[in-house]
Amino acid sequence: MSDTEVKDDRQYSKDHEWIKVEGDLVVVGITDFAQNSLHEITFVEISEVGTSLEANGECGLVESMKASSDIFSPVGGEIVEVNSELEDAPEIVNEDPYGKGWMFKLKPSNLDADLAGLMNAAAYKEFIESL
Amino acid sequence: MNDTLKRTHLYDWHAKHGDVIPFAGWEMPVRYTDIREEHMSVRNSVGLFDTSHMSRFLVKGQEAQMFLQTLTSNNVSTLKVNGGQYTICLNERGGTHDDLMLYRVAEDEYIWITNASNGPKIHNHLLKHSPNFEVDVIDKSREIVMIAVQGPKALHLINKITDRAISDYGRFSCYRLKLAGYDCYLCRTGYTGEDGVEILVLDTPFNDEGKQKAISFWEELLREGEEFGVKPCGLGSRDSTRLEAGLVLYGHELDEETSPIEARIPYAVKFKVEPHYIGYDVVKHHKKEGGIRKTRIGLVMIDRGIPREHYPVLFNNKVIGKVSSGGLSPILSKGIALAYVKPDSVIIGDTVEIDIKGRMRKAGVTKWPFYDPEVYGGSRTQ
Repeated sequence: MSDTEVKDDRQYSKDHEWIKVEGDLVVVGITDFAQNSLHEITFVEISEVGTSLEANGECGLVESMKASSDIFSPVGGEIVEVNSELEDAPEIVNEDPYGKGWMFKLKPSNLDADLAGLMNAAAYKEFIESL
Repeated sequence: MNDTLKRTHLYDWHAKHGDVIPFAGWEMPVRYTDIREEHMSVRNSVGLFDTSHMSRFLVKGQEAQMFLQTLTSNNVSTLKVNGGQYTICLNERGGTHDDLMLYRVAEDEYIWITNASNGPKIHNHLLKHSPNFEVDVIDKSREIVMIAVQGPKALHLINKITDRAISDYGRFSCYRLKLAGYDCYLCRTGYTGEDGVEILVLDTPFNDEGKQKAISFWEELLREGEEFGVKPCGLGSRDSTRLEAGLVLYGHELDEETSPIEARIPYAVKFKVEPHYIGYDVVKHHKKEGGIRKTRIGLVMIDRGIPREHYPVLFNNKVIGKVSSGGLSPILSKGIALAYVKPDSVIIGDTVEIDIKGRMRKAGVTKWPFYDPEVYGGSRTQ
């Protein structure tokens, strides 16, 4: 898995989502490892803006040519923005999972507690190498 | 990797060039580059599939025809030497034991090609019934390599490696000939909706020599097909092409509890046959008296979303059935599905809803193939 990119500036879940804190908001996406395993992403759907989520709550799905996978929000809060670019160009997630392929932003409700359950880059690297 | 998984002769090539995954007890390539690219090569030019994971049984003997008619639902007596037929092996309840291709290669000699997932079950079934007949059943699965060459350029490719006039060989025919010097059966059949062939490469034992022979032949096909844009294709595009063509897959559209009449493949079920095959009375009841419990339909998404197996299908807010296979159609760029619903609950043109993980999404009831048969597929206008 040495060719899998993990960025130092964010936190990771065991479901292969990343989160990045930006001011009062949290940006959520899926990792390079996840997009690489899914391959050829054909469809992304995220719950509507305004939806309240618990940490690890199901909030959408990603379709690839082979399978469907649920997306979970690593932190709780309210969805304030969904990346609408992905509606017509879901392949952006394959091309740039940590940048333009972000999935949604939320206003966290319990950030400090939720962060405690996530991995930093080093721990996530170790986690995917153990798979 | 799990060492109980089986590998085909071409495994080393697949592992080097593609993504290998476990499938039905085998390690098979899911893709080499990109499922959609491979899919489109089959629709627009030609694709190669290793199908050696399927089981191949040689059935020979004086009573081979009678034996096969006892076990399969098509009319074996209409199968001529060098002909093939798609047929169904039924259980006593009229459910499907397996769907298969039967080729008659000599007067008293047939090749039975069955799904990888059902190989051992069907082998046992054949061995259980064969003692009652003057017939031998020989498992040839490990001695014959099988490669499918599919797409509008498939016959062009094959023409380059034989001096026989293969365009004279009709659909479903099966002839023994030399291809690039290899002793083969060339069958004009396939599982993609496109014209093309399935090749049985003979004398390829599962040893180093046989594997090398298989790889050399595969590479020869790739070289000769280069001018047409040939691509090696994995199981991903095998599934997406068959789904787009509306073809059934065992374990999804067919199983022990589903009759071929319910699956709407009546052309594989004949009643003027002698002797009557196992399951005859039940499928006759399904066909003639409408005793079916469910029926297969095609669905194309109107709303966004990709239908998947087991998703409920609703009509007028009532659940009428569920999806058996679904995915993205690369031709339509829309989600498509095959589904089983209650008989007479919907007609073509109706709008149903598919429950995609709690989100109700509209889909239209449609016929298959899902592509325009004037533009794609084996019956397209040349």
